[in-house]
Amino acid sequence: MAEATIIVRNRSGLHARPAASFVRAAAGFGADVRLCNLTRDPGRTASAKSMLAVLGLGVGHGDEIRLEATGADADEAIDALLALIAGGLGEGTAEVIGE
Amino acid sequence: MKTLRGVAAAPGMAVAPPAVLEPASGTGAPLIGLDAAVTESCRQLDLLAARLRDRGLPDESEILEAQALMAADPQLLEAAGQRIAAGMAADDAILAAGEEAAALLEELTDELFAARAADVRDVAARIARAVRGEAPPRLSRRSILVARDLTPSTTAELDQSLLAGLALEGGSPTAHAAILARALGIPAVVGLAGLLAAANGAAELLVDGNAGLVMLEPGAEGRQRLAHWETEHDARLDAERALHDRLLATADGHRVMLGANIGSPHDTSAALRAGAEGVGLFRTEFVFMGRRRAPDEQTQAAAYAQVLRDFGERPVVIRLMDIGGDKPLPFVVLEPEPNPFLGVRAIRLAERDPELLSTQLRAVVRAAAEADVPRPLIMAPMVADLADVRRVRTLLDEAVAAVGAAVTPQLGIMVEVPSAIVVADQLAAEVAFFSVGTNDLTQYLLAADRTNAALAERQDPMHPAVLRSIASLVAAAAPRGVPVAVCGEMGGDPVGAVVLTGLGVSELSMGPASFGAVKRALASVTLAEAQELATRCLDAPDAATARGWVSERLAV
Repeated sequence: MAEATIIVRNRSGLHARPAASFVRAAAGFGADVRLCNLTRDPGRTASAKSMLAVLGLGVGHGDEIRLEATGADADEAIDALLALIAGGLGEGTAEVIGE
Repeated sequence: MKTLRGVAAAPGMAVAPPAVLEPASGTGAPLIGLDAAVTESCRQLDLLAARLRDRGLPDESEILEAQALMAADPQLLEAAGQRIAAGMAADDAILAAGEEAAALLEELTDELFAARAADVRDVAARIARAVRGEAPPRLSRRSILVARDLTPSTTAELDQSLLAGLALEGGSPTAHAAILARALGIPAVVGLAGLLAAANGAAELLVDGNAGLVMLEPGAEGRQRLAHWETEHDARLDAERALHDRLLATADGHRVMLGANIGSPHDTSAALRAGAEGVGLFRTEFVFMGRRRAPDEQTQAAAYAQVLRDFGERPVVIRLMDIGGDKPLPFVVLEPEPNPFLGVRAIRLAERDPELLSTQLRAVVRAAAEADVPRPLIMAPMVADLADVRRVRTLLDEAVAAVGAAVTPQLGIMVEVPSAIVVADQLAAEVAFFSVGTNDLTQYLLAADRTNAALAERQDPMHPAVLRSIASLVAAAAPRGVPVAVCGEMGGDPVGAVVLTGLGVSELSMGPASFGAVKRALASVTLAEAQELATRCLDAPDAATARGWVSERLAV
């Protein structure tokens, strides 16, 4: 299993288009990718491939999230998703705080 | 002929038969399975998203893109699949699964996420229609669309060449349907109480998206109104286009700051595109609406910070909640009041329930710190006297200390209670700015309920009593160098804007749709001419006469 933690720095968090970009990217990998909002609800994880599940985590600007992936391309999935979030999901820049 | 008054949501005018939007009933087409319906719905939504993007509507396009992903969401389809396996019909199953997902999103405290609940319901309804083999709602001829409210996807789906105008019983000028109508150049009026019942059976409607009214069976009078508007429209549009990139100023270059009035974070992009120099009135009621419990500090701060970040260096005046009275909320316990406009409203609520206002103040302070605003601006509504200012100031100082913020926001007041003008010299010593709310000031000054249609003629702020009040406010503010702005509807009215400039008002804030007309009016007079008109209007016998004098000069 691969995992990483990052703070979401783009303006509106994982909402609308940023969430859509994220879900589309996650769906491109065979690995099972799950997401946890450490800031608001650390006890719950949700599928990163479900738009509704990702929206349901309510990830806002400044929230810390954890990504977990299991499967053949787990490392690639985590790297790609981290890069996407760090790039601001099309809205601006973010920073990686741990891996 | 009957006239319904609503709220102007998109400018323009049109006459056409009404079309009441209803989903096409079962066409007898064979039922298709859930998978095929999902595929079809995704295809439709992707197509509509691309169409909106091509039209330069990225925000609305994003909503539809997100909806396309929702339509194919594994979680949604699994929930629907389980219901189908248990014997439920496919259309009912997807509607139930959509409702379940929407209810979960509604529980989120963040306004932006909770708003997606409506999008999920819309998606589920679309898939259910596809399952039943129903075509999307459509117009069969050029019509004025009459509905309670419209989703972005439905609005985008309608054939624009047949859509002459939009009349909504519900909705608000900030709803997506209104934003789309403005972008598509379709006149729209929203908030038309009794519209659906009244339009039922009408042969023709006139929609006036400037005046915010709908005429039923407009006849000869309506046609004349339309012809008059059309002849002026093209020339006006050309002149306004030429002014788009220019600042708001008189012909001789006297600058007046141009602010936008906004009602939610959704309004910022339209305001910036229109050339707003800042926000003169950010109404915060949106964050309290449609909730069973009061929004917490984080929820509010996130919504405010978004607007502050969007405007960056440009000033944003955040108005504290103006609730209570005629705008009740489930979590604010209000005693029934015989005169809600004169009742426990806005900051008056804080005397009984200080936590509501304190939470908002902490949220604003937090948002300003998060967005790194060097000089945050807060405006208190319904201030009557110095005691009100000091009460808010105390709560604000406590909020700054509680958050541990480095910067204390500047506190200004909305001038709408006449007593504030009588003691304006006292207030000027303790506030950072004045901003006149001309709608309420007019109703209070003239003792004429603005919700009473029988008194509509008494609501014109061009009344000499209102103009003299503003003149005396400007005079009281000047020695202290306190700026006077106007954020009421008068500022967005070309006649009002010229007179206010002549009276010495230094900032006008209005809906961005009014920017063009106001720039054009102000550019047509010199400062001396505006002052002369204003001075003359102070001595007018009534509002209509004053308005007539200025209109004549402006030829509007």
